[in-house]
Amino acid sequence: MIDRTVNEPEVAAVRGSRSDRARVTQLIVAVICIVAIVALPWACGDYGLTLATEIVIAGIFAAGLNVLIGYTGLASAGHAMFVGLGGYGIGIGSAIYGWPLWTSVPVSLVCVAAISAAVGAICTRTRGVEFLLITLAFCQMFFGAAVKLPLTNGTDGMAGIPRPDLSTLGLNSEIPAVFYVYVLTVALASFALLARIVQSPFGSVLVAIRENESRAVAMGYAVGPYKIGAFVLSAVICAVAGVLQAQYTYFINPDAMSWQASGEGILMVVIGGANAVMGPFIGAAVFVLVKQGLSLITSEYNLFFGVFFMLVIAFFRDGIVGTFRTLAGRRP
Amino acid sequence: MQTFLLQSLNGIQLSMLIFLLAAGLTLIFGLMGILNLAHGAFFTIGAYSGWLAASATGSFWAALFIGPIVPFAIGFLLQSVVLQPLIERGRSTHLDLALLTFGFLFATAGAVEYLFGPSFYSIPTPAVLSGNVAVLSVNYPVYRLFVIGVGLLVAGLLFLVIERTLVGATLRAGVDNREMVTAMGINIKAVFAIVFGCGAALAGFAGIIAAPIMSIYSQMGIGIVVTTFVVVVVGGLGNLKGSFYGALFVGMTDTMAQAYLPEAELFAIYVLLVGMMMFRPQGLFGKAGRVA
Repeated sequence: MIDRTVNEPEVAAVRGSRSDRARVTQLIVAVICIVAIVALPWACGDYGLTLATEIVIAGIFAAGLNVLIGYTGLASAGHAMFVGLGGYGIGIGSAIYGWPLWTSVPVSLVCVAAISAAVGAICTRTRGVEFLLITLAFCQMFFGAAVKLPLTNGTDGMAGIPRPDLSTLGLNSEIPAVFYVYVLTVALASFALLARIVQSPFGSVLVAIRENESRAVAMGYAVGPYKIGAFVLSAVICAVAGVLQAQYTYFINPDAMSWQASGEGILMVVIGGANAVMGPFIGAAVFVLVKQGLSLITSEYNLFFGVFFMLVIAFFRDGIVGTFRTLAGRRP
Repeated sequence: MQTFLLQSLNGIQLSMLIFLLAAGLTLIFGLMGILNLAHGAFFTIGAYSGWLAASATGSFWAALFIGPIVPFAIGFLLQSVVLQPLIERGRSTHLDLALLTFGFLFATAGAVEYLFGPSFYSIPTPAVLSGNVAVLSVNYPVYRLFVIGVGLLVAGLLFLVIERTLVGATLRAGVDNREMVTAMGINIKAVFAIVFGCGAALAGFAGIIAAPIMSIYSQMGIGIVVTTFVVVVVGGLGNLKGSFYGALFVGMTDTMAQAYLPEAELFAIYVLLVGMMMFRPQGLFGKAGRVA
């Protein structure tokens, strides 16, 4: 992830050099994908809808994590803490203070931004494997806090987390299809925001940090604030996923920020290929389907998941997208 | 004053346990640059295999000496069969292999649950080491003093082996220049596998030592290994001296916070970590890297 040469056309290529025809093809592919994503659940019935909703939520989590792992080259093993904080944010806001969602969601996200700025300021002082260790340690700290603090109702977690009230649009978000469209809308907005940010000068500096931090420093960039910025951005997107996850299950408990959840996030990013734009989404799809498949054939989820994890790292290090690209000979 | 003395002893005892884990982690990282995120798994595996040995032979001492064989074998195989081939295929040791061991952590947690179920087990304290003894004015369990003694003994032995023997010289040479060591006719792959096994065995040994104090269950390694991660970051990753002093700092902080500031218990070691990151991000004994 860190010591890789520039080989990611999406990020590193000069944008103007791509031919118009390639752009049109890409646009068509994107439109087909979006239509398929919107239409697919209805084609597959209720079970398909459940899976699709889980995939999209997991995809937002992976996309947020990808800002750090893929673009900045900082592998965090603790980002489930922000998913959990997002969920607990609306849990505490709605269930304890009785706030409406339009208050509790923004307040949660602002709190996550503030917390992640503090945590990020500490964690980004290290790099590489130490960053991995320290983020994992912070994740365990929040996990411990969720288990032990009285506010969060211990390991039982908090139930009764409300879904958005869409009655002004004449819709009821308790209906799975409506909730799916709501999740999809939030996901597209998040992806659009992320795509815009990573293509901005800010995003280029993040890539520069990934490729060669010393050189970025030598060019005069204060890499510290950029790294913290990437950390906050990725944390907030993860918190959005946490809010949706909590609304989807009406429930949040400390398991949302366990080390396993963080590991699942890393795996999704790796499967998707750490740098590809659509990668996290594909990674989430593969991950959710494999998880479902495993739960059908075995109750020893952790064991098989761990083996799957090791196989992916060993053989699909460039992710599904990267592997297919290599097979198709599109990469040198 | 009595409470303070008691808590200090508790703190040293916890520090020694953490040190056994941190030493294994540090040995592996120092020599091979592989961060073993599954280190907590070896702690758990050691405790279970010690429990098996103890229930088969009825002797704590058998558990102590037979138990670490299983984590040694698993660590040896993990390095020689899985990690080494990947290194040879040009994988970056740092992140890829750390992530691979993260997957291994899942797999072992699952395997242990599958084999032993969700029950709690315990290894009884041996008769010689049960009971209390007066330390200054405090009545302190003999077994906990034994843990302190073992920790100090291991620290001393490791220091002697690494600094004063030919084996240690080979290891130190391997850290500095791998090609040169190979050119001297040493099978560095075998050395790597053995060191990985020894690191894992140390973690397993810690698991067995801890078993009479804490109960054995599938997630027992997680809490302590996270504390160990804080220790190696505080002490400077890959530095044995750093992990010893780091373990003392962190173990004492944790114990004292539990005793005197129970509300802050969860956050105490992180406050230490934050302070360290602000003033010495490379850790107590780490060398500062070049920034530009």
